[in-house]
Amino acid sequence: MGMCPYARAFAGEVLSAPGVGGAILTTTCDQMRRTAEWLSLAGGPPVLLMNVPATWQTPAAARLYRDELQRLGRFLVSLGGRRPRRERLAETMERYDACRAILRGAAGTLGGRRASEMIARFDLGEEPDGSASAAPPCGTAAPGRADSGQCCTPGGRRAALPVALVGGPLARGDERVFDAIEQAGGLVVLDGTESGVRALAAPLDRRRLRDDPLLELVDAYFGTIPDAFRRPDALLYEWLGRELAASAARGIIVWRYVWCDMWAAAAARLSEATGLPVLDLHVSGDEAGLGRTVHQVQAFMEVLK
Amino acid sequence: MSGRAKRLTLQELDRLCRRRQASGAAMPAYAGPLERHVQDGDRRLLRLEYDDSPAALRLWNFLLTEEDRLHEARAAGRKIVGTMKDLGTVPVMAYSLPNVVAFYPDGAWWTPCVMELSEGLFGIAQSLGLGDAFCPVRAMAGAFVNRAHFPIPDLLTCSVGATCDDFSAIAQRLESLGYPILWWEMPSRRRPEPGEPAVALPGGFRAPESQVALVRSELERVRAALAELAGSPLGDEELTAGIREANRIRGLLGELRHLAYAADPCPMPALEMLIAEMLAIHFCSDRAESAAVLAELLDEVRSRTTAGRGVMPAGAARLFWVNPVADLRVMNLLEDCGARLGGTEYLFCHALDAIPGDLPPMEALARMALADPMVGPSVDRAARIVRDARAFGAEAVVVSRIPGASHCALEGTIMGRVVRDELNLPVVELEVPPVADPLWPTLRTRLEALVETVLERRKR
Repeated sequence: MGMCPYARAFAGEVLSAPGVGGAILTTTCDQMRRTAEWLSLAGGPPVLLMNVPATWQTPAAARLYRDELQRLGRFLVSLGGRRPRRERLAETMERYDACRAILRGAAGTLGGRRASEMIARFDLGEEPDGSASAAPPCGTAAPGRADSGQCCTPGGRRAALPVALVGGPLARGDERVFDAIEQAGGLVVLDGTESGVRALAAPLDRRRLRDDPLLELVDAYFGTIPDAFRRPDALLYEWLGRELAASAARGIIVWRYVWCDMWAAAAARLSEATGLPVLDLHVSGDEAGLGRTVHQVQAFMEVLK
Repeated sequence: MSGRAKRLTLQELDRLCRRRQASGAAMPAYAGPLERHVQDGDRRLLRLEYDDSPAALRLWNFLLTEEDRLHEARAAGRKIVGTMKDLGTVPVMAYSLPNVVAFYPDGAWWTPCVMELSEGLFGIAQSLGLGDAFCPVRAMAGAFVNRAHFPIPDLLTCSVGATCDDFSAIAQRLESLGYPILWWEMPSRRRPEPGEPAVALPGGFRAPESQVALVRSELERVRAALAELAGSPLGDEELTAGIREANRIRGLLGELRHLAYAADPCPMPALEMLIAEMLAIHFCSDRAESAAVLAELLDEVRSRTTAGRGVMPAGAARLFWVNPVADLRVMNLLEDCGARLGGTEYLFCHALDAIPGDLPPMEALARMALADPMVGPSVDRAARIVRDARAFGAEAVVVSRIPGASHCALEGTIMGRVVRDELNLPVVELEVPPVADPLWPTLRTRLEALVETVLERRKR
């Protein structure tokens, strides 16, 4: 068993990037759980390992998540943060909610790489520009190709095969996979990676937000984000069923790191569950791996055509 | 002092069995020559070497007839519970009900070893998308599909959360194939924060009260499901009695381990001790017989210890072994290399510690479950290893990696570092696949080198 390249890269970044005041990891995968421990022994910044329950259908699981959010809050305070007033928390949540609405819109119009980059910047604290998503919707049927199952690349430059990219998180530089797909004649019309729209929390309920922002935080994040680690994983397949149909994707590319058991098992099931062709990419996180990825994507697109 | 206990080939062990049968010695109904299991495909048995005692013969027969017992239980109308992943908690609850039998489908991880890959379970797993990047426990999925091993349980439970990803993913794949699972949450055990209410766990660690409460509430869901399945209540009284019985077995095993790992010369081989320890987690589908098997083994070990009779010469290098081996034959190998066990941590030390008898039963079970070495940090596990290695006088530590297991990527590094810092002992990591024959020269060389190192260190 080797170490997941993403977990390794994450640990390297925490230990080497300047100014890292603390690291927050979650229990959503075993390797990250153990990476948290490794980091805390490595003499780096303070580390919090947040329990995110795998089960989600019981009040106890939601309670655990809420308690862990509070523990996260205490950790942040210990790093120099201030405990927010209830109104301040609600305002912040509203601001983020508005940003996510823009990102969801951008995902529908900008398509693969640009939307992914917007989400990545948002994850780093940059608020998205609402006007950026005013382009013609991505996934529009290509002129004269309405029955072909093809769509236009952003800006309507050329016809492309719509595909979904599903799986674990993209690391910095991995957005090149969007280019590889486009160069092979495809277009990502659904970003179901952990760093894509799939992992955006659901829109907030404004009334509940005013009543109990923490509870709404639990509902919006823990209650709705589908993922392969959840047990059972029904939410993931509900989400995929809905979004794949809406996006008219004709194939699925699974982005999973070598040694990632959760997405490895899901990759096999995706084909059964959706009936779509699936390309299972084993991402090793190095340049040679990227080269292999390009060839695999090209071959997959040939099959789809 | 009498001579050394011998290790027997399968043929020699079967001769012992036939002699005992012919002499009218009391033997359980399931006992017989192991050759019959070889006929059924358990070819690895031909390559193993066995302790020469009637107690070991009984142990092997008991282990190898588990599937028969499960099928008999099904035929007798008893309910079968497949308890996945928790290694020692839910079976205690299940056996508190009179008409319920629990077993670990996870145990199928040894089937490819015992059948020397002839059974095709990995191939089936591969067809389900569970290839060799997964731990050998993927064989379990194959066993569910081909139905050639254990009966399909009436209820399947699985702990998730702070468990290895392999298992969680494989179990989810099972559910997608139409086997409903009662998932119950096991949080990642953490140190209590300053001022946070905390409790002591069996084994010596502490955990926040809130985590214990969560596990208790999850186990209440399991309790309700078991009671519904059995059609009879599973009250505190029944659970208390079940815990008492489990503790009796743990007590037997505790003494057995103490003698087997501390006495010199070593009175019981590593292979039989591995099997014996495994009985603690689910009683091999018969709790009462499990106790009887361990009691006979303990009698044998007591008698050998008193007589100074061992399976190795006195002074053999004492190795502390971490993680169970996927290939049972490797336990023979360590003795072939001149070593003996000086302690073990097979991933389920929480199933060896006594369950607190002075607490309400569900609280006691929750604390025991949370003491699972796999749900806490590796440094906790390492601390346990340090404590036990010190107690047993271990002179080196072997971390046996399980191929593909998500926990093996980092834990060996962490545990090795703690052990070296605390005990200044040599630590070796080995990877043991289900049939390790191609790696035999490498494994032998590494173990022999470790033994040499140990012996050399004694001269300092």
